[in-house]
Amino acid sequence: MVIIALGFSMAIMISIPAGIVANQEATQTLTENYNSTMSNMQEEINKTSTLIECSTSSGRGMFSGTPSGMPSGMPNFGFGQGEVFINETVGDEIRSIDGVKDVVPFLVKSSEETTSETMSTPRGNFTISRPLYTITGVCLNSSFVDNYSMLPTNMTGGRNLREGDSSVLLMSLNLTHYFGVVVGDKVKINGESFTVVGVYDSTDQGRTEARTVYMNLSDAQTVTGQIGNVSRFDVYAEDVSYVDGIADVIEAAYSELSVTTYEDRLESIANMQEMYETTLENAESTLAQTQSVATQEIIVAIAATSLIVLFVMLYTVRERTKEIGTLKAIGLSSWNVMSQFMLEGILISLMGAVVGIAIGSIGAPILSSLLLPQINLFGGSSGRFQPTFGSANPGITGSQAASATLDPQLMLLAFGAAMLLGALGSLYPAWRAARIRPAEAMRYE
Amino acid sequence: MSEFILKTEKLTKVYAMGKRKIPALSGVDLQVNKGEFVAIMGPSGSGKTTLLNVLGCLDTPTGGMMILNGIDVTKLPEKKLYRIRRDEIGFIFQTFNLLPYLNAVENVELPMECTKKSKGERRKRARELLEKVGLSGREEHRPQRLSAGEQQRVAIARALANDPAIVLADEPTGNLDTENKYEIVRLLGRLNIDQGTTIVMVTHDSQIASHTERILFLNDGKITKEKQGFHLVKKKLMCPYCGGKIQLSDARCPSCRKRL
Repeated sequence: MVIIALGFSMAIMISIPAGIVANQEATQTLTENYNSTMSNMQEEINKTSTLIECSTSSGRGMFSGTPSGMPSGMPNFGFGQGEVFINETVGDEIRSIDGVKDVVPFLVKSSEETTSETMSTPRGNFTISRPLYTITGVCLNSSFVDNYSMLPTNMTGGRNLREGDSSVLLMSLNLTHYFGVVVGDKVKINGESFTVVGVYDSTDQGRTEARTVYMNLSDAQTVTGQIGNVSRFDVYAEDVSYVDGIADVIEAAYSELSVTTYEDRLESIANMQEMYETTLENAESTLAQTQSVATQEIIVAIAATSLIVLFVMLYTVRERTKEIGTLKAIGLSSWNVMSQFMLEGILISLMGAVVGIAIGSIGAPILSSLLLPQINLFGGSSGRFQPTFGSANPGITGSQAASATLDPQLMLLAFGAAMLLGALGSLYPAWRAARIRPAEAMRYE
Repeated sequence: MSEFILKTEKLTKVYAMGKRKIPALSGVDLQVNKGEFVAIMGPSGSGKTTLLNVLGCLDTPTGGMMILNGIDVTKLPEKKLYRIRRDEIGFIFQTFNLLPYLNAVENVELPMECTKKSKGERRKRARELLEKVGLSGREEHRPQRLSAGEQQRVAIARALANDPAIVLADEPTGNLDTENKYEIVRLLGRLNIDQGTTIVMVTHDSQIASHTERILFLNDGKITKEKQGFHLVKKKLMCPYCGGKIQLSDARCPSCRKRL
């Protein structure tokens, strides 16, 4: 009984540090993710200083076509609705603007098939119907394919798209699971038959890129019924110095195009950075709060452990007064008696530690989640920023962040603590035992 | 006159019960010589146990003087008294007081625990002592698997562990049946004769007391009377009842069949 009670107290004592360590690790992972995402984005933006994105739907501006591990910048609401298209001849007009080097057209359209998805938000659950995947038509002109990043690079099977491809497509890995196809199989997109020539790994990307089929621009125009239309131009300037001028001209001439330049993107990345930092600050403050709660709980557990030892040993000393008298009568010193009882206290406490580790190794995640406030890494808007977090298994959420486990170091620590607390708790009872006068003890029954 | 092992002069002990003072010993003059087997008798409340506790250094006297094996123990602090108890005194209790979770040989080893003897030496000595009290073969038994008489014999072996100057026995036969009583008192007598062990035994059983060589009567905290016992005669291997020849191991006199 006593051992089990001690065990629980010990289990709490070791589960809490385990939980803290787990939380710290989660926060660290978050910080690392953040840092690598930020540096990736910075790098990408630096590479594309001459790129002016001209997109028809304002929300889809940032990097929607760039497949190189880049999350889409903004939360993507209004899926499929409000998709606006522009005639592809506009591209030729833009190409004639002074300083323009290349104009790369894209057609990005949501599929007609949809999927339902439940999102939990602090205000309740919402069921959202969103397109199953995105069709991206790419102009497979070899000079474009060679010079600009338009297609995914992380291929897992088959080949990438190339100039002259027709009735073939490139599909993200998770979509192949949905369609149940492999490289070489045929698949129907809006009723048209296509051959899957390549599969790319989408786990490293934002959610939109994660479910995309890439195909020849004209094929895309056919299957989406947008013949002659595109949704985005990537305009490349001859030199950085032309960028602002070109952007001004385009904005003035085509009100339906929203223009994003290097500077806009820098600004948006700064906004994102701010967002991320708020999130991190939240996480850190929660962690600090967790730690202060944990400290209190550990103190309680320590007090409970030593109090249990104290009372058990006081009881033992009372019960065994006569034995103590005998020991002293036959010549054991007070010190002998005291160390004997201290040793017993430590032993009880160590047994408690064994039970505690047994309980803790099974129950540490439960105990730590019961006893510690849950880390909510995303402040109040959990879920919303998940897809943007560079990690496609849908983000780091608070509930899965901290899973406490016991490592050998912690167990060793538990044994150390048990010995210390056992000694501490039995100090007073042992001292009482040592002080017992033998003649009085012998009279005691 | 042989040399004394234990001597007290005007030994007093007063218990304070709140404001009332209860005198338990009021001036005990006592001398026990080396190799003596002495019984202290008296009615309950006469101070027998108090006297034995003071003699055994389990309690400190209120007044008077006490010398044990040449050491004045009257004023020794507790820090030094435990050494006296360990090295000079062997204690035997009415209720045996063996540690239930230790076996016979471990119980006997206990007083040697904090001496300089090595573990092997302690074990060897404990086995020898158990053999001496007639318990060879039962060394590994725990107290609950031994009879009352056997338990008391383990306790006697334990009392002898550090080869004490004096053995103090507090009603050693009080919890035993007749057969075992005489068995124990014969064992004590034999130890006294064979080893020359000095023994002081407190008892209220006059039959048992008569088997010692000197009986002191304690009344109201004072020694009031002194009487000779049979043990002196037995030392000469004679039956105290008929004068016939006896062996130390005999339970009854071969000639008159009286219990020895």
